[in-house]
Amino acid sequence: MAKKKTDIDFASSFKELEEIVDWFEQGEPDLDEGLKKYERASELAKGLKEKLDEAENRIREIKNT
Amino acid sequence: MQVFSVSQFINYLNETFKAIWDTQEVAIEGEVSGYRVSQGQWVNFDVKDDESLVSCFMVLGKLRVPLEDGLRVRLYGYPRIYTKFGKFSFNVDRLELVGEGAIKKALAALKARLEAEGLFDRDRKRSLPRFPKRIALIASRESAAYGDFIRILNERWSGLEVDLYHAVVQGEKAPESVMVCLAEAHSKGPYDAAVITRGGGSFEELMAFNDERLVRAIFASKIPTMIAIGHERDVSLAELAADVHASTPTDCARRLVPDKRDIIFEVAQMQQGIAQQLTQRIENAKLLIEQATQSAERWIEAFRTRVNSLLRLIASFDPDKILKRGFAMIMATDRSVITSTQSAKAEQEIIVRLHDGELNAKINGKQGKLI
Repeated sequence: MAKKKTDIDFASSFKELEEIVDWFEQGEPDLDEGLKKYERASELAKGLKEKLDEAENRIREIKNT
Repeated sequence: MQVFSVSQFINYLNETFKAIWDTQEVAIEGEVSGYRVSQGQWVNFDVKDDESLVSCFMVLGKLRVPLEDGLRVRLYGYPRIYTKFGKFSFNVDRLELVGEGAIKKALAALKARLEAEGLFDRDRKRSLPRFPKRIALIASRESAAYGDFIRILNERWSGLEVDLYHAVVQGEKAPESVMVCLAEAHSKGPYDAAVITRGGGSFEELMAFNDERLVRAIFASKIPTMIAIGHERDVSLAELAADVHASTPTDCARRLVPDKRDIIFEVAQMQQGIAQQLTQRIENAKLLIEQATQSAERWIEAFRTRVNSLLRLIASFDPDKILKRGFAMIMATDRSVITSTQSAKAEQEIIVRLHDGELNAKINGKQGKLI
């Protein structure tokens, strides 16, 4: 289960987080939506940090065919 | 007398050439003209001096130096008549450039040609993704360049998939080896980037990265390419053709992936920014509600004042109150109100209403306006 958590796509999660920042900066007035976005942002940030903390680079040699 | 068929004749001559021409001991020296490459594998050119000219043929794979018209070359190989067309040519096994600075001159000419063709155009360069997921690394597994690259990569980032394609990166086999790896990477992809790296070396050692075929393969790569060759004085043509050119294997790793500490900080900043924005938004909403409540209260107050004054106004119309102040209401016997002298007649019976009762009376006479 712990492994499952890091199973996110880093680039797309990061992009989604940036989009939430943009949404807030554009000053959308909807508070309900804002709360939802805030929760999602926290979830994304947590996932990104976990991914960086846990994962290592995977190096393998490809044999020429 | 001996009569040859055409084929026999050509074979006879070719055999004779073989017998008299020692490919190890003899060479031809002259100036190149009419250099061209056909089908990406055959090289044709003429070698000449002031009086004579010989056609030459060569397999592109054997050509180790950049070749251009006007260059002076020394050719090793053997003379041969091509059976099909009876054309005499010199088959080149090995070609050397002759003269001081000949290689650099040839390289400059090749560079100019490829540049004119657009192989080094800046606006054609692709940028690499900020967070690459999977890359092809073309390097020698024993090299310090490989070690440096991986070390920096591991220091900075995690979660990257690196496929190492072991290549010979020096000497005659290098261009072919790197090209094979690049082709292989294309079939095993997709990759976010193909990184080609090796350590520094002498001008001669790095000549492989000026090989025209390799430069073209890098230019044609569908995978964005990044090349880093350790501390060299001259930038190779392969580097110029690549999408990204890093200065060393270490620099290459730095440019390929961000530092995770920076990204963790950036994520925290974004999170904090969002929290601030949300708090601000809640504050704004509170303020708005407060303002709305205040204006509602003001409205209710104004409404109340208005109602009171209306009530007072209505009260002032109460006829009893008017009668109490000493006024009287005059009615005809049918109880219709007489408001004007015009509607009253002399001797008419009338009812005079006061606040506490009524009087029956009779009109004695009338006058016009009093004032």
